[in-house]
Amino acid sequence: MEATSEKLSIDKKQLLSGLRVAASRIPLLAWFLGGLVAVALEQFIGNPFARGIGLPKVPVLFGFVIMLKKPFLIPSAVLYVVLIYLLPVAVVARLTAASMNRLAAKLLDLKMFLSVILHLLLFYAVLHIWAEMSDYRVLVLKLMLIAVMLTLSLNIINGYMGEFSCSHPGFMALGAYSASVFTVWLFADDRLFGPALLPPAIGPFLFPIALLVGGLVAAVGALAVAVPSFRTRGDYLAIISLAFMFIVKSLIENLEVVGGPRGLGNQPDWANLPVVFATTAICIWIINNFVRSTMGKALNAVRDNEMAADAMTVDTRKTKILAFLFGAFWAGVAGGLFAHVLRYVNPGTFGIQKLAEVLAMVYFGGLNSVYGSIVGACGISLLGEALRPLELYKWIIIPLLLILVMIFRPTGLIAFKEFDVKKLVQPKKMAD
Amino acid sequence: MVFFQNLINALQWGSFYALIALGYSMVYSILMLFNFAHGDIFMVGAYIGFGVSTALVSLAAMGAFALPGWLILVLTIIISMFLTSFVGMIVERVGYRPLRDAPRASAAITGLMIGIILETGNLALLGAERVKFPSLIETTTYDLGGVFVTNKKIMIVLVSITLSFALHQFIRRTRWGMAMRAMAFDFAVVPLMGVPLNRMAALTFALGSALAAAAGILFGVAYPVLDPYMGILIGWKAFVAAILGGRGSVVGATLAGFLLGFIEMFVPMIFPSTLRDFIAYTIVLLILVFRPHGFFGEAYSARLRL
Amino acid sequence: MSLLRVEKMTHYFGGLRAVHNYELAIEPGQVRGLIGPNGAGKTTIFNLITGIYQPTEGKIMLDGTELNGRAPHVIASLGIGRTFQNMLLWRHMTVLEHVKMARYSKLTYGLAGAFFGTARRYQQEAESEEIALRLLKMMGVEQVADQIVLNLPYGAQRRVEMARALAMEPKVLFLDEPTAGMNPEELLQMMDIIRQIHGELGMAIFLIEHRMRVVMELCQKIQTLVFGEVIAEGTPEEIQNNPKVIDAYLGKEVVQ
Repeated sequence: MEATSEKLSIDKKQLLSGLRVAASRIPLLAWFLGGLVAVALEQFIGNPFARGIGLPKVPVLFGFVIMLKKPFLIPSAVLYVVLIYLLPVAVVARLTAASMNRLAAKLLDLKMFLSVILHLLLFYAVLHIWAEMSDYRVLVLKLMLIAVMLTLSLNIINGYMGEFSCSHPGFMALGAYSASVFTVWLFADDRLFGPALLPPAIGPFLFPIALLVGGLVAAVGALAVAVPSFRTRGDYLAIISLAFMFIVKSLIENLEVVGGPRGLGNQPDWANLPVVFATTAICIWIINNFVRSTMGKALNAVRDNEMAADAMTVDTRKTKILAFLFGAFWAGVAGGLFAHVLRYVNPGTFGIQKLAEVLAMVYFGGLNSVYGSIVGACGISLLGEALRPLELYKWIIIPLLLILVMIFRPTGLIAFKEFDVKKLVQPKKMAD
Repeated sequence: MVFFQNLINALQWGSFYALIALGYSMVYSILMLFNFAHGDIFMVGAYIGFGVSTALVSLAAMGAFALPGWLILVLTIIISMFLTSFVGMIVERVGYRPLRDAPRASAAITGLMIGIILETGNLALLGAERVKFPSLIETTTYDLGGVFVTNKKIMIVLVSITLSFALHQFIRRTRWGMAMRAMAFDFAVVPLMGVPLNRMAALTFALGSALAAAAGILFGVAYPVLDPYMGILIGWKAFVAAILGGRGSVVGATLAGFLLGFIEMFVPMIFPSTLRDFIAYTIVLLILVFRPHGFFGEAYSARLRL
Repeated sequence: MSLLRVEKMTHYFGGLRAVHNYELAIEPGQVRGLIGPNGAGKTTIFNLITGIYQPTEGKIMLDGTELNGRAPHVIASLGIGRTFQNMLLWRHMTVLEHVKMARYSKLTYGLAGAFFGTARRYQQEAESEEIALRLLKMMGVEQVADQIVLNLPYGAQRRVEMARALAMEPKVLFLDEPTAGMNPEELLQMMDIIRQIHGELGMAIFLIEHRMRVVMELCQKIQTLVFGEVIAEGTPEEIQNNPKVIDAYLGKEVVQ
């Protein structure tokens, strides 16, 4: 009995390591292709198939929600996920691995830029087709991408720089409101701002400017925190930034021009999935560029030993202020997108709860790591959606999970890992 | 007249802030971390106080004993402080002790999460219906030449000042208090001198939580309707007061708590009351910019251990 | 004209006089030593010249530029590189990143380069990587370039720190007890490294040391500091035979 179980476990181990080796030979392109086939499959036969195996409709979030709502549907949901997602992805990825590896190699020889663009397009296609099945998916996806931007931008300050900033909801609010004011004032007929000043047709082209405005306003606000905070070291920033967050919130509550506590709505519907996806991709690209340059690494030097950084010619004060503004800028851009995704914002959104949420994402995913921020933001967002049927208990399970992560991996799941785009898109080694 | 009326109210709110701020301040000065669950411990303390007082009142009604209302209140405060101190110790044991060598920011995150668990747990246990703190003492209003003072307000201020003073004496006079002061001075060395670190941490949390419980009951006496999220806003404000007071200063935290009460009560006298939070925090920000060390105590100068 | 010149430098910590009327003139290519008992103020002098503290009185000139009142990073980029007695390393960074970081002030690609990865950035980063690798090779630690520096043995960490200081291309290199905590074998290697730096790069070196042997063998001129005051200055032989120095190091009774 014991012998068989031991043998079984060895088999399992072999199987797992075999799978891992097999997976490590499959390039990203092939995975995306697999994903594309899976979501296309869902598009065509998802509904009839789901009904055929007893599900009311296509499970919106990989079956998690339905499993928690109606436990007796678990086998069907699992079957659905395996047959529609896992199996097609695995089979297609395995089958196309060799040719995709060659393609990836060729692309990389040609120009890395092209290769990255192709990967992004393919990835977007997968997301787009997946999200097309329901409005709910689109919303979840958009909010998740925005969460990635927020998390990453906070990671610059709390992870790469090692300070503890609490003002991210404040920056987000500044971005959300200034971008909204920009678009509503110029392009929408609004009770508060009067008729549109410019023809709405050119609006979508100016949307990047609105986001830029949001980011810049947030960065200016950040200057007010950064200048006094970085004179002295340590926990000072945590406190000042906290006060700043409260100040921004109550300032907006008192600004009747932007609706006061009732909030501001009527934003034009320009933050569609491609726009959010592209902005997030650009954000990741720029932040990753920054943190991998020597100027970005200076943040780590300041964090790990400021005196040594100073002695090695690093202008520590400038570095800190700059990184803080940079983080705030992206929080502002994310805020602007957030406002245009929901098409309504109110000051209550940008309080302690938002702060706890973003902090949770940063520390869950991992400090000093772009991968970590992506994993943290997506993980917590998806978990939040998937556990929705549990209602109240969701708010016990997620915090508990986070406490466990903190105890066993105090710097988060994937901390201190470089995000190397080239490694990501290059062909994977094939077995000889 | 309005001025004095506001003064009384400011003293009352200051009492709540001061008692809660003491807990933040002690934990920070000794363990160098922000206990972000403290506001929710205040909430738990209020609920425990509710439970204890309800039990005592119903026991009295059944004829188990005959006690006047004020004595029941005193008993409630003592018993609840005792019980809540265990909540504090459990929070320390579960959320902070395993993270003692981790980056301090991680401990701050566990604190936040424990706070959420306490709120939700309360909601799950007791349901969404709000509970009402039993009225233990009759409200008597004294008219001091146009300024109205209730006996409850006087009691709240007196109890809070007494407890702060008691803590001050404890830290100054007892052996444990001396060890706490030493740890605030140098966290790393004191355990080497034979002071048991874990017990010190537990004691710190127990004391802070007991004071928070007292604040919770006093709050319940003044504003009887309790809800699970009552600790969030008041907790963060008290946190700010603790910072203003200066690291590890009992006197500073107490005074800053009262100061915050004053700011909040007097701002609406001059400005529209909706601007209260805005102006209160702006004043706090300005004080911190010009006096980074707070009123008393040392600078918050430690680096995050990453 | 001297490369680094310090005139009448005095510094007080509160009421305590830590350094008194300190004078120094380092010529290009010279190796200077600063010795003295514990607490004499040697590291304070380093910290004063490198801008970590501001001297209460006195003037510091590097190559015709006044250093007084300048921020430490400015002084560093003007040409004073240093190592620390207790090795201040960055715990999450690799060896190569350490050395490249010291090229910070030489990078001119600016924010545009950092954010958008311009061609100029990749060219400059590659350049500084090349310099860093060359220095690591000179220190004999190039094979651990990709490791986290705290995982290295003590001696290797010292070398990395020295390579880092050299990467700034300083005019004067300040070494604060480079052989602290080393065994005799490591000590000899470190002395070879210092000789090699001096020989190959020809830069001026200012050395704090505890061990007489190191200073005596390496330095051309030595100062002895006691309670913040220079009590003797001269060649190794002069210092060795100076009765005041012997006093300070061994105590009066022994001499009598």
